[in-house]
Amino acid sequence: MNRGNALWRLIGITALLTTIVFICGFGFAMNDILNPRQAPSLSDIDTTDHAYVKDDVIHITALGDSLTKGTGDSTGEGYVKQTIKLMEGKYDKPVQLLNNLAINGMRADQLVQKLKSDKGYRLAVSEADIVLLTIGGNDLFRFARGGNAADEQDSNTAVESDAKDNAQPESRAEEQISLEEVKMNMDKGADLLRRTLELLNDLNPDARIVYVGLYNPFYDIPELRDGSLQVQDWNRSAYDVIHQHPNMMLVPTSDLFEENISRYISSDHFHPNHEGYAAIAQRIVQAID
Amino acid sequence: MSSLLPLVRNETMKVWKKKRFFVVILVLLVLIPVFTYAQMKIALNNRDKFDDWRLQLQQKITDYQNQLSSERIPEEWKQYRRIAVQQLQYYLDHDVNPDSPNAVTFSRGFVEAAITMFIPLLVLAVASDLVSGERSTGTIKMLLTRPVRRWKILLSKLIALTLYVSLTLLATVVLSYLIAGIFFGYGGWTLPVFTGFVIHGSDVDSSAVHAVPQWFYLFMVTGLSWLSAMTIACLALMVSVLVRSTAASIVTMMAAIIAGSILTNMASSWHTAKYIFSVNLDLTNYLAGSPPPIEGMSLLFSVCVLAVWAVAAIIVSFSVFTKQDMLN
Repeated sequence: MNRGNALWRLIGITALLTTIVFICGFGFAMNDILNPRQAPSLSDIDTTDHAYVKDDVIHITALGDSLTKGTGDSTGEGYVKQTIKLMEGKYDKPVQLLNNLAINGMRADQLVQKLKSDKGYRLAVSEADIVLLTIGGNDLFRFARGGNAADEQDSNTAVESDAKDNAQPESRAEEQISLEEVKMNMDKGADLLRRTLELLNDLNPDARIVYVGLYNPFYDIPELRDGSLQVQDWNRSAYDVIHQHPNMMLVPTSDLFEENISRYISSDHFHPNHEGYAAIAQRIVQAID
Repeated sequence: MSSLLPLVRNETMKVWKKKRFFVVILVLLVLIPVFTYAQMKIALNNRDKFDDWRLQLQQKITDYQNQLSSERIPEEWKQYRRIAVQQLQYYLDHDVNPDSPNAVTFSRGFVEAAITMFIPLLVLAVASDLVSGERSTGTIKMLLTRPVRRWKILLSKLIALTLYVSLTLLATVVLSYLIAGIFFGYGGWTLPVFTGFVIHGSDVDSSAVHAVPQWFYLFMVTGLSWLSAMTIACLALMVSVLVRSTAASIVTMMAAIIAGSILTNMASSWHTAKYIFSVNLDLTNYLAGSPPPIEGMSLLFSVCVLAVWAVAAIIVSFSVFTKQDMLN
């Protein structure tokens, strides 16, 4: 009986105290959600130590649009992962992808914005040894597709709605791409590219920055073959900036997608397929010493 | 009042002797290591791929943004993603790791994940045969032939049940902390957690966001879970009064809870579903600032719905228990 009494006291008191604690917790939670400003706040935040990356590994950060994302590659590798594989073979050193921050449909103005204000982007760039970059395709061809409406929305939804435009490029492209408009937006885009590259340089002057040049995905459509001229103009203005910085290089791709376009382009007739990306990756690895 | 305490003691010790609470502890002892192991695998995998949690978080944000651009993903999911992107970005901007692996984070995550299914299940282990169990063994006759008012007997059962609900939650938190600590270390009490995200459509208003230390967050999370668990306990008591067999009473309650969790995942277009108790169990959602399963739900709304269900269940239990012919 005595033992039973002690047990009951133990259970009873523990449970009672716990109940009171939980009711208090519930009260605090209600208060915190319903009057968020009055809740106790933590003034000094203890942040964890900055984990610096190891030196004996080559770190890669990939930035840009759907090409860097690897859209169109049925294996999901894209040129970024294939480049890493090839580099590992070439240097006999571990090559690590820090981040692939590419977003489908990203434009140069959005990338500039991200590089200016987004901590994650800035960190990923500043810790990289090599930055792989594709940008500009959406600037050139988006303007051509006549969508300026996305400009007013915030960057997240703009990326999204723009990518929606990307969904059926082949059907829209033929209707809507007019070369005059491509031409018109060239200067604006080239200026944004200049700012992107300069921002990258400011963030990490030691990193090797590899810009993958544009190609004309519509080379096989006779009316749109002249688009290649604009593409080359774009690549030329990119090179204007790139050649000023010894740590930057431009890897041309437009020749790959001329005679071999049916072999290298994916079924959406806009992005490369696995083989197309493999060809780009080979170019990149050849260009890096 | 003086006659109530011995009754509560009697009920509490009866449950203890039936070893129901040991079953609860045993289930926790088996399951928590499993979850801990899974969590550790994820942490190790992330450590392999990312040297820095910031890069990992940024990759997560980018992945979500890419999902947003996919045509295949339904609009409601995109809404979740959009909100998650903004919240993760907030963590990144303030240099706080939202899922740093430690025992307190694990306990918090475990309680948050367990609130809709697992904790209710554990509560049922105790609650479901409180009355129906006595009927099937026949001991209810002995109980009711004593010179005590029937409502006092049921009240003592309800109080004992409350005590066990608290003990179950306490055991869940303590055991998950102790077991996860073996793998992740026992730290993490003072890590900041952000709360106070206000959601308007797919936009997150972070003007009211403030950081609270994680121990305080855990304290609030368990408080909210306690209310959910108590609602389940009251309903289970009612079912236990109404139904003669313990098995039937467990099945009834489980069906209701599981139906709720299924509805939560698919009923965003059926608005009246928000008055069902099991859709409202996930109170910790509001603390984390996740969008509610059905539009128009808020913390106050959910608490009211749960309270109405619980009070109704108590009224039904008492009126049936005091009037029904129990002795057959």
